[in-house]
Amino acid sequence: MTLRPLSPVSVLTACLVALVACGDAGSDAAAPGATGAVARTADFCGPAMDAVAAYQAEVAGSPNMPGPAERYGGTAVVGGIGELQGGMNSLVSALHETSQTQIFVNLMTLVQVDENLEPVPYLAESWEVSDDATSLTFTLRDDVRWHDGEATDAEDVAFTFTRANDPETGFPNAAFFDNYTGVEVVDARTVRFGMTPHADFMDPWRAVAIMPEHLLGEVPASELALHPYGLECPVGNGPFVFASHRPQESWTFTANPDFPVGLGGRPYVDRYLYRVVPEPTTLLTDLLTETLDVYINPPPNQAAQIVAEEGVDLLAYEWRGFTFVAWNSRRPQLADARVRRALTLGTNRAEIVDALLVGYGRVANSSVPPFHWAHASSLADVDGFDPNEARRLLDEAGWVDRDGDGVRENEDGVRLSIEMKYNEGNQVRQDVGEIMQAQLGQIGVELQPTVVEISTLIEQMTTSRDFDAVTIGWVTELKVDDTDLFSSNRSEEPWAFSGTNNPELDRILATLQTVVDREEALPLWQEYQEVLNDEHPYTFLFYPQRLAGVSGRMNGVEMDVRGDWLSAKDWWIDPAERRQR
Amino acid sequence: MTRYLLRRLLGAIPLVLGVATVVFFVIQLAPGDPANLVLSPGMDEAVIEQTRENLGLNDPLPVQYVKWLGSLAQGDLGYSLNQRRPVAAVIGDALPNTLLLSALALGIAFLVGIGVGVVQAVRPYSVPDSVLSVVALFFYSMPSFWLALMLILVFSYLARNVWELPIWFPSSGIRSSDFDLMSPGEQLVDRVRHMVLPVTALWLVLAAGVARYTRGSLLEVVGQDYVRTARAKGLPERTVILKHALRNALIPVVTLLGLYLPVLFSGTVFIETIFAWPGMGKTIFDAIGARDYPVVMASSLIFAGMVVVGNLIADLLYALVDPRIRYE
Repeated sequence: MTLRPLSPVSVLTACLVALVACGDAGSDAAAPGATGAVARTADFCGPAMDAVAAYQAEVAGSPNMPGPAERYGGTAVVGGIGELQGGMNSLVSALHETSQTQIFVNLMTLVQVDENLEPVPYLAESWEVSDDATSLTFTLRDDVRWHDGEATDAEDVAFTFTRANDPETGFPNAAFFDNYTGVEVVDARTVRFGMTPHADFMDPWRAVAIMPEHLLGEVPASELALHPYGLECPVGNGPFVFASHRPQESWTFTANPDFPVGLGGRPYVDRYLYRVVPEPTTLLTDLLTETLDVYINPPPNQAAQIVAEEGVDLLAYEWRGFTFVAWNSRRPQLADARVRRALTLGTNRAEIVDALLVGYGRVANSSVPPFHWAHASSLADVDGFDPNEARRLLDEAGWVDRDGDGVRENEDGVRLSIEMKYNEGNQVRQDVGEIMQAQLGQIGVELQPTVVEISTLIEQMTTSRDFDAVTIGWVTELKVDDTDLFSSNRSEEPWAFSGTNNPELDRILATLQTVVDREEALPLWQEYQEVLNDEHPYTFLFYPQRLAGVSGRMNGVEMDVRGDWLSAKDWWIDPAERRQR
Repeated sequence: MTRYLLRRLLGAIPLVLGVATVVFFVIQLAPGDPANLVLSPGMDEAVIEQTRENLGLNDPLPVQYVKWLGSLAQGDLGYSLNQRRPVAAVIGDALPNTLLLSALALGIAFLVGIGVGVVQAVRPYSVPDSVLSVVALFFYSMPSFWLALMLILVFSYLARNVWELPIWFPSSGIRSSDFDLMSPGEQLVDRVRHMVLPVTALWLVLAAGVARYTRGSLLEVVGQDYVRTARAKGLPERTVILKHALRNALIPVVTLLGLYLPVLFSGTVFIETIFAWPGMGKTIFDAIGARDYPVVMASSLIFAGMVVVGNLIADLLYALVDPRIRYE
């Protein structure tokens, strides 16, 4: 499980390479004992699904099929470790795996991004930004219909925006819209947003799927989280129509014959299934026995087996996450930036990438990942493994082994002893702990890896701050905003667990989010990453690649930093290779 | 008999409630709370506060407890914080899957286990006895998750990809991806195929234990005077063993059954996880990790109930196998 919600900024991925599925805990408006919702299920889902069935029957006879006829048909089955928590309701769920399915399979976003991460039309056929970047006007396609036949219009877009910004909804990514001020429906196909200037103002429209106003408009914001729509009867407008959801087991979608020709028309495969398989070994077996066509996110130690197997391919692509050790600078051992840097220098991160990621990743030195336009590539090779420099820095900072026990102390006799916590069930992070323990022992640092159950760990990081160091990961969006992590005026907020207090960082963080022009912002981003590296609140370990095992019979499967199911509507299977049915 | 049953069941109510009460307060002692887990950077204070309020986490513990008891009295188990649907629906989906798996495994385990135990006890220290002992001990000492992985390796991967056998068994789930497109007959075959490996992983380990107990117990009984009497009056060996000796020997085995019943309800986390079987074990495990209190509470209630029922069934079976035991 990725631990919760994606934030606009970043998401804590507690189990990037999870061996156990971590629970995505938490509803935003669970009223215990609210039996009303049970009745609502029947009231809402019955008619909604009937309407979908009726409309689908109507359009089934004249599908939009502009592609080569032999490509149409077959079932694509993908498998992943966890349930799609929260389902197809983009207002209450932001788990990465779930939102992937929302934006590429069942629902639509206003724009998508091309391989250069520049926005391209999707639900919106065009958009216009005012010269001062305070107003953004979208013109929608006129041929996108919800799966029950209703047109997708400006009201749907305004509804999604309004609900997302209503605190009662509990939308986990409200910061997506930090720089947005309001919405106005101009006409059925035109919607205008007010905003304050920002370099990445388009990012939310790539990430947040538009929801159906005609179905959910009457639902009070506080009831959206528990509404049966998301899990039991989603009515989307994307390339695939919801067919069924068996909790903890599978999601089934069927091709939408009504999907606009201008966007490629009906997907090639008849059916798209997502299967929940909690154990990686089983997932691998399923892929090799062709029970699955796509196995998303296998751990790196399975890569060799996937590569070796005939008829199965391994995709490795850039990913928006990174794994790091956060140092708690409130602790006397870790208050000095020189000590924190020495801990990085004393750790052979290149070896960690080679050994634990089997080379599927690279050493990280910044919170802005390499795919991002503002990534400082000048930092790529800094702070390589250099134990002598690490020893020198520790000496300089006043940490010397005064009693000859092999562990350094400062003048007050505080030992340079650090407890490093990681979440239970994550083998890579456990191994990182053991490697660092051995390597930092060589430079006179006592590092003690400790396993902690995930819920407890989050509580200790975000609330009680009861930790010296923690190994964990973030997933960023295309818009990066580290204010919540490193700004000193947020130091009491949950995510400022490193306790960073650096006036220069504060200044840059405050300015960064207001510069619209990328050319102009770039030097500032460069400076930010350099200052961050000087401050060294984290030891950035690596940017892992995301992996996928794909059956050889699948054609047109593309995955990259934009998402796993990026090309799902273009997947096709040769008729001879399809499943029997 | 009816009065006895009634008394036992009524007596169980305070027990089950007591267990639930302890679980309620103990789980709250664990750090971490559901509202914490929905936090993310950039989240508004108001949203966090609203979340806590909506979850009822701002009430003092005793108030939460009384509210929970109140809902329970009305048959309302509440809402799953994690799955965002009624707890009754969560359990309603998972429980039948687990019961199917467990009941089959338990049934096969006891049939096979008792059978093997009898064969061993009839000719103790013979070659078949030794071989079966070794086999039983092999499975008895094997961790079930490892056995499960080996079954997958052999009967899914090797059987299909390497040996290319016509028959192999799927390693995950309770049905195929094409299930919805199958005829009812094919659906039945499909469900059975998916059941083979997980049920086998469970029953093999259980049966090994049952066989050990049956053998030991039967050997003891066979040495007793009344068995010698039965033989002396010329009864066929078959009747002596199966009718006279075995019934007596089954008492410890029945005790074992009472112990296994509730364990099977909850104790199949590994098997369910490995075979992607959407059952109770996985549900409880996830719920604890996510601090999904309502699901944990409901599961504990059911689990406590199953312990009571398991023991009751065992007690009733005692009377069945041993006429000297009567309940008033």
